[in-house]
Amino acid sequence: MPEKLIQGEKKVFMTGNEVVAWAAVAAQAEIMYGYPITPQNEIMHYWTRLVPKYGLKFLQTEDELSAGFTTAGGVLAGRRAFTATAGPGNTLMQEPLSMAEAMRLPVVVIVQQRGGPSTATVIYSQQEVTLTTLGGNGEGLRVVYSTATHQELFDYTIKAFNTAWKYRFPTFVLGDGYQAKMRESLTIYEPELRGITMVPTEPFVGRDGIPGVDREPVHLRNTYNVEEELYEVLEKYLADYARVAPKIAEYEAFDIKDADLVVISHGVVSRACKAAVKELREEGYRVGHFRPITLRPLPVEQLREVAGQTKQLLVVESSNGQLDRLVKEAIYGSTAKMFSLFKPGVGVTTEEVVAQVKGIKG
Amino acid sequence: MAKPVKIILAGEGGQGVQSVAEIIAEAANEEGREALYIPNFGVEQRGGVSVAYLQIGDEPIGAPKFLTGDIVIALSDRAVRRTKQYAGPDTLFVYDTSIKNIENELPKNAKKVLGIPAIEVSKKELHPRVFNIVIMGAVLKASGVVTVKNAKVALEQLLGYKFEKDPKLRELNYRALERGVELVGQHIVEEGMLNGSNLYWTNLGSEKDFLDTVSRPL
Repeated sequence: MPEKLIQGEKKVFMTGNEVVAWAAVAAQAEIMYGYPITPQNEIMHYWTRLVPKYGLKFLQTEDELSAGFTTAGGVLAGRRAFTATAGPGNTLMQEPLSMAEAMRLPVVVIVQQRGGPSTATVIYSQQEVTLTTLGGNGEGLRVVYSTATHQELFDYTIKAFNTAWKYRFPTFVLGDGYQAKMRESLTIYEPELRGITMVPTEPFVGRDGIPGVDREPVHLRNTYNVEEELYEVLEKYLADYARVAPKIAEYEAFDIKDADLVVISHGVVSRACKAAVKELREEGYRVGHFRPITLRPLPVEQLREVAGQTKQLLVVESSNGQLDRLVKEAIYGSTAKMFSLFKPGVGVTTEEVVAQVKGIKG
Repeated sequence: MAKPVKIILAGEGGQGVQSVAEIIAEAANEEGREALYIPNFGVEQRGGVSVAYLQIGDEPIGAPKFLTGDIVIALSDRAVRRTKQYAGPDTLFVYDTSIKNIENELPKNAKKVLGIPAIEVSKKELHPRVFNIVIMGAVLKASGVVTVKNAKVALEQLLGYKFEKDPKLRELNYRALERGVELVGQHIVEEGMLNGSNLYWTNLGSEKDFLDTVSRPL
């Protein structure tokens, strides 16, 4: 066997797409399925460049429907499989991902958001929040991590495989075109050295023994004959999800204790918000920052706590209120006054967040 | 908290602004500093203005893009028009003097607008292909984010295999780098900006190191 790709840990300087490919290898992913779309292409490029000597595989499919279904197929065969997509590709992929929800298949999907609707821009947005958290004709039985730095892209790509295989829900790493294309430093590492054990995989089909004699038969369904039958299954799935949601939910917050205005953002926009809050604090403004890392499930308890103790909330995002809607649902009943800075399809700078807060504070 | 130095490089596709930004970012990272570089990109395969956003500091960098640059370098008429929005009262705006009829398009609110004959110098004195390395020298001198010494190390890492085959290429690249430094340096000296509190001089942490590596009369 060739030497491991990552030995120990080391500081590197690379693009986000490259980070994802390295993280997937570190997580012992076995196969990637994909169809090219900017800005995620280089995940495929780096994966195919890195993996042949480790015996890992790549399959380019004819479109994203196929990429999603083949990823589900890889998982059914017990492989730690993943795919990556963006924009219109993410739209197409919702059909196979609905099937993954129906069958509780631990597929892992990396999304690098681009502008929408439709082809729009290949550059950047946060407009795939609704699609990624609640897409498909189902109930959003999935996990979505929204990353903000290259370090998190590495950490959460590894984590996504474990969350998926532990809880058996499709799991997404929601990045964006900025994170995909920018270069910054991070530390890559062997997961075992950080105490991370990869959750073992197992085949869903083709298991040993005679079904019904040596073991329970495997019955994977995405089709039901009667309403009640579906309802019974969904009730169980929804109860499973509700039970594990608090364990999966993650967030980051600072300076919120005495804040009378809390800025809420997710993903790369949080970098601008964080810097803005620090700058405003230095000028004497009592502001804080709250950032859900999981957009599905949301850290509902913590969001409600923040909404309960501050007077004003400012939601900042590169879409027209996709995060805002999730937040409002979570904090329903709160009397905190809501403000927004929505820039659909466009990046948000520190300067703009500072100006917005000063505008609110008068 | 010391803010990072924010740099914008803009030019025509093929002028090499992205590779310049990338090399500087890599060199800064090698020095142990925090760097973030992001290219703009669109659906076009060629043509269009290419813009690189580069930030270098001592703490993790915040948002990848910004509204106002400390240094904005525009290398074509379209690049000037595209990037003058990034100029503010503290901005050094650098453009190439070969750009025709651009005087009225230059930003009015910049701290300083500086024209340098980088295209002409690279064509007449060096080789058109090292134009971007001339620009790199100019950026280094204006920003002080990386020493010329370390920029040379970065160039060596990137182009070393070519230099091995043809040592003249190494000389050409080093000379281009130094000429770029001079083009900006001359102006700073001429206009007595050396002792001011201008960012593009005071940020030069290891000034001596920086100068030691450049063989030129300043």
